[in-house]
Amino acid sequence: MKLKKWFEISLQNLVLLGIVVAMDVVLSKISFGPATVQIGLGFIGSVMLGYFFSPVWSAIGGGVADLVTSAIFGQQGGFFIGFTLTAMLGPMIYSFFFYQKPIKIWRIVAAVLLVTVIVNVFLNTLWIHIMYGLDFRAALIQRAPKELIVPWIQMVVIYFVLEALSRVKIKK
Amino acid sequence: MSKIIIGRYIPGNSIIYKLDPRGKLLACILFIFVIFLANNWITYGIISAFALIAVAATKLKPKVFWAGVKPLVWLIFFTSILQLFFTSGGTVYWNWWIFTLSSYGITNAIYIFIRFTLIILISTVMTVTTMPLEIADAMEWLLTPLKLFKVPVDKIALVMSIALRFVPTLFDETLKIMNAQRSRGADFNDGGLIKRAKAISPLLVPLFISSLETAVDLSTAMESRGYRGSSGRSRYRVLSWSNVDWINLGFFIALTILLLIFRTH
Repeated sequence: MKLKKWFEISLQNLVLLGIVVAMDVVLSKISFGPATVQIGLGFIGSVMLGYFFSPVWSAIGGGVADLVTSAIFGQQGGFFIGFTLTAMLGPMIYSFFFYQKPIKIWRIVAAVLLVTVIVNVFLNTLWIHIMYGLDFRAALIQRAPKELIVPWIQMVVIYFVLEALSRVKIKK
Repeated sequence: MSKIIIGRYIPGNSIIYKLDPRGKLLACILFIFVIFLANNWITYGIISAFALIAVAATKLKPKVFWAGVKPLVWLIFFTSILQLFFTSGGTVYWNWWIFTLSSYGITNAIYIFIRFTLIILISTVMTVTTMPLEIADAMEWLLTPLKLFKVPVDKIALVMSIALRFVPTLFDETLKIMNAQRSRGADFNDGGLIKRAKAISPLLVPLFISSLETAVDLSTAMESRGYRGSSGRSRYRVLSWSNVDWINLGFFIALTILLLIFRTH
């Protein structure tokens, strides 16, 4: 029953999805912080997709965001279907944890850890391994420092973002 | 910022510009799979020649392609160097702890370097010679077979064109909101972690509220203009396939066959 509901979407929400996807694309081009620890805001777009849309439409939104980014900016490192799949998976995981659910610290921690491990550490490394024939261990080592630091920063940012977004939703 | 908004498209009128975006996108996607076939010097030579012909056919300045490679130069170098020390086999020249410098390592590092550069060159050719709207149309066409699996391709296409249309608008909006908040003391680049995380909501909340309003307005406008779902509608913007596109695909098939013949089995 719930699954069937996940597939339905009204025109207004469909248009909103388009605009949130555009926000995702814009945010992923902005980064904050000093040059040494630049934090991209792309993950906020994924969180927004996950928070406002069902897992099905979050995933579609994530995929479309990836396609639109490639269409406008060109994908750094080439078009590869694997990265579109991981772009779909992130918002989908966030949606399982955040969509129509109260904001809880454990949800944020679990969602970010899952996304980091599955999407960033495992799958994206796998795609690089497949695409460039790079040694899997070497690709992991290259990513490790970033993926050990960034998730904790993301959790703090996501907490404030969700708090802020939940206020907007109530006002609507 | 306005440069980013337009995207990376650079107007021109060489033969590559006249190709159908569908053919170009297809070739661009398949190129990454075909490059897997290259595994010796001859095949890498063939595929490099193919990529360089494509680059030359655009008749654009080398500067354009350098701009595509530049942001990734360090990543390419770092990756190649890691590969250099992590591949063992062949003659060993130097060895320390887990690092080995071997003849296999050196060839492998050079292969990866070439692969990286070629993939970036080909996707730069794609994005520089095709307008974003055309690329999006081509993507929509590529998604069409998914209809067989009941994927709502029409809805996805609608989401894609709305997103594409609103990226520049939201870019402007974001800058405006950031400047407005800055003008009354907001600081997006200073303070500790928590402070910085908090600084994002004065940007995000107004942005989201205006997006919500746009979505309501736009959906009302669409419905009042007779939009009743994506199916059963005609198309105003149509892509057209011509003879040049067959030649394009022919080149690509020839490349694949050459690679299959010359690769080490």
